[in-house]
Amino acid sequence: MEEKFEIWTMDYLCGNLSEGEAKEFETFLKERMEYREKYDELLKAWELLHTMQTPEPSGKMDDAFFSMLSSEMEKEQGRVPKQSFTSILSVFFRPQWVIGSFLLLIGLGFGYFLRPDVETIPRQTIAANNETEEVRQKLVLTLLDQPSANQRLQGVSEANKFENADDIVIKALLKTLNSDPNVNVRLAAIESLTNYVDKPEVRQGLVQSIPNQESPILQITLANLMVALQEKASIEPFKQLLKQKQLDTTVKKRIERSIESII
Amino acid sequence: MQTLTDNVLMMKVKSGDLDKLGLLYERHKKKLFGFFYNMGNNPSLSEDLVQNVFVRILKYRQSFTGEGPFTAWMFSMARNVHYDHHKKVSREGVSRNVSPEQVDRGTGDYLNEAMDLQGDAHLLRRALGLLSAEKKEILLLSKYRELKFQEIGEILGCSEGAAKVRVHRALKDLKTIFLQLETR
Repeated sequence: MEEKFEIWTMDYLCGNLSEGEAKEFETFLKERMEYREKYDELLKAWELLHTMQTPEPSGKMDDAFFSMLSSEMEKEQGRVPKQSFTSILSVFFRPQWVIGSFLLLIGLGFGYFLRPDVETIPRQTIAANNETEEVRQKLVLTLLDQPSANQRLQGVSEANKFENADDIVIKALLKTLNSDPNVNVRLAAIESLTNYVDKPEVRQGLVQSIPNQESPILQITLANLMVALQEKASIEPFKQLLKQKQLDTTVKKRIERSIESII
Repeated sequence: MQTLTDNVLMMKVKSGDLDKLGLLYERHKKKLFGFFYNMGNNPSLSEDLVQNVFVRILKYRQSFTGEGPFTAWMFSMARNVHYDHHKKVSREGVSRNVSPEQVDRGTGDYLNEAMDLQGDAHLLRRALGLLSAEKKEILLLSKYRELKFQEIGEILGCSEGAAKVRVHRALKDLKTIFLQLETR
């Protein structure tokens, strides 16, 4: 009861009660004198509390507050451009970045799952390489058979493109070296054949072609090549060549020197 | 009726319009000063503590949700400022604040006591000074009509009913001490 009364009184004093409730409280006080006294005491204390005067704060407090506030506002303003800059950045770039990186990830994911087997790539390229080699071989053979020296030269330069020429191409080049009517084509064939000097049949073919060469430039080229290869088998064909009366003197001296250096 | 409620102003402060804190300060500085002064702090310390409350309001402005009234939020900060200050002072072992009650205590024939008009006010201040800090605090909070008991309860961490009972008992104690001082 006591606690109820305490709550009730406070509600009445603070005007929290409705009109009906307030009247109810007042009749309660009339009927119960002991509570009436308690209420009167409390009312005095309540009124006393509200008569309490407090001094006015000084002007210093205002000065201190407003200087604090203005310095805070300055700090905030200093921060504002940064914030707005970042917000501009975020407004203009963030969605794009997010969407961009999302799409990139999706793309990478798709790419990863749809990627062809690693092994098929070399297989396919090998197949493709083989195919081009075949086509090139046919092209070389066809070009070397052409009546035009120009086209035969083209054929020899095509033959240079082989990574590893097969026997058919090498035979065709050797045939060109021995029988082509054009000096330039024959010269080109020698150059092309120097790519395969590690093959015994090529070296053999080069040596055998020495007596067949009539052009001085070809004779000198072959002599240089033989010196470079240190091909002893070439000495005999060169000696035969030296016996020819119509041999150019410069070529003759050159071949003699070559034979010496090979020996 | 104030065109801009405290809560609206505080929400503006929260969103970066710090200028509006000036209005809130003007509205509540006297109440806060009175609160600190009557809690037993001397005037200059009370002014410093008012300043601290507003510094805290600025610092923690993002925590203001606007759900409860601004005054309740402000007074709970004021309470923390008061207790933090006194904790610090007692830790340092130096009593820097001297309340008017402490100054007057023991000077029974103080000039003001002889004057009837100021006598009651003086006695009341002394009576308030003799109350415990909790009771003093709840009386001062209830003195401001803006705070409902529910909000006082929230500030003090108790129920609405408990807040009413505490105010009632604190008032009774105040009256008793006041009468004792009067008859002395």
